[in-house]
Amino acid sequence: MLKFWLTFSSLTTAIIILAVLGFLLQASWPLMQSQGLSFVTGTEWYPYEQLYGMLPVLVGSFWSIVLALLLAVPTGLAAAILCAELLPERGRAALRFSMELMAGIPSVVYGLLGLWLLLPLLESQFDLLTGRSLLAAGLLLALMILPTIMVFSESALRAVVTEQRETALLLGLDWPTRLLRLLLPQAWPGIRVAILLALGRAMGETVAVMLVVGSMDRLPQPLYNLLQPAQTLTSRVGREMAEAVVGSVHWAALISSGLALALVAMLLSLLTQRWRS
Amino acid sequence: MRHRLLILSLLFVLIPVAQAAEQLRVAGSTTVLPIVAEAAKYFRQQHPGLSLTVSGGGSGVGVANIDRGLIEIGMASRDLTATEKQRFQGKVKQVAIARDAVAVAVSKAVYEAGVTQLSLAQIAAIYRGEIKNWQQVGGPDSRILVIDKEASRGTRHVFARAVLGSERARAPGATIITGSNNEEQTVIANSDKAIGMLSHAWLNDAVRAVAVGEAGAAVLPTLATVADGSYPIQRQLNLLLPQRGGKMSIAFVGFLLSAQGQQIVQQVGYLPVH
Repeated sequence: MLKFWLTFSSLTTAIIILAVLGFLLQASWPLMQSQGLSFVTGTEWYPYEQLYGMLPVLVGSFWSIVLALLLAVPTGLAAAILCAELLPERGRAALRFSMELMAGIPSVVYGLLGLWLLLPLLESQFDLLTGRSLLAAGLLLALMILPTIMVFSESALRAVVTEQRETALLLGLDWPTRLLRLLLPQAWPGIRVAILLALGRAMGETVAVMLVVGSMDRLPQPLYNLLQPAQTLTSRVGREMAEAVVGSVHWAALISSGLALALVAMLLSLLTQRWRS
Repeated sequence: MRHRLLILSLLFVLIPVAQAAEQLRVAGSTTVLPIVAEAAKYFRQQHPGLSLTVSGGGSGVGVANIDRGLIEIGMASRDLTATEKQRFQGKVKQVAIARDAVAVAVSKAVYEAGVTQLSLAQIAAIYRGEIKNWQQVGGPDSRILVIDKEASRGTRHVFARAVLGSERARAPGATIITGSNNEEQTVIANSDKAIGMLSHAWLNDAVRAVAVGEAGAAVLPTLATVADGSYPIQRQLNLLLPQRGGKMSIAFVGFLLSAQGQQIVQQVGYLPVH
């Protein structure tokens, strides 16, 4: 009986995932039909002129996510190591509790904080016309995914069995060796899940990004300029979904933005799985 | 126990009644929203059983949702385009309930530094990216934060047609894109070098309107200049009503066109149509 239910529910999950993918593919078909694959390389997005170039948003999403991960992964991991290995029990509980609290704050609150504190700060620090930029989006996303990375990595580190730690100690291995050769490799599957979950949140985050990114559909000039207003996949879907007529090419173009996100998430998941083995 | 039974049976009686009550959903332009929201307060008192919800999203949302049949009344701060009119032929009618000016709004600092008047050509040059510094139009030496709106917004249609020549014209000089009137108002108020387009009901101390036109003949957006037609960027505020609309939708539109409804229009800061 138990076996039946387990099989049944995992099959259902698999079917739902395939159905979602199928739906996304089917709904974005009108776009592929009218534009071919050129929509990935097009740089102009003007629905009224039937121009659906995705390159600016792809670049925007890429930079905001990469920036967020570059900031949040090292800090989150460092906090996790501190918390799991170095702090006394009371400090550990306090740090972990505050991180869990941070993880529970709704994203719109982060967005408002960004509007209120981050944008004026960026404007004055970099002498910008407006603080709305990929940098703002990346910083905000980093703050939002930090607790996810920290909490999950900490659990993974603590799950490394005591006997192994003791053996390492008895062998006289110093702390850096123990960390790099024992703890991190042993905890890697858990840390990988932490990073993937964080990545998922960073990619899917809409409201907070929409508030601080500037929603400007234009390629950064030059491509690595993070101080200009830009647009990401999600912020565009958030801004335009309600006005697109269902079934139109515009609608299909927005759906394919979602498809792009889903595909990237899957690809990354597969890649990190391979990396592990 | 008896109480519980009583409450339960009451619930069973009440739920169908609540469902049977007519539903009136209004959505669209955030410019029209204040009028409708204020009118809804009175209308609800007159019709206690009615479930009446009002939400924003922009004129594009109003048009799209009427098309999809998701709402009973749409709000649009612009006239329907030729394609939309064709699509809605015989299905949806446009009812004007007020008139309004689209103000060219600038940050207080810019206004006080001397930019109190701009010609249509100057505004167009700013939005095309040909003028990038306030100094070029008699203001302080600072770059211009040019605020454009989402392409579907009614205010943008009206502004782009009057200033850039076509309702869908691109604005390559734009720095950022905002959505609702509130969002844009906040950006202008928080900056000291911004220019944007706003319904004149959203002007305040931190968000000032410049007079539009050649020096000496420039006109400020006020109810009087909308009424006599001298302000160049003006428009009708419309409701979109399906031809086969329910009794309540028709009654609500009628209420907005009545003397009381038109008084609300004036209270909120727009020009009545009657």
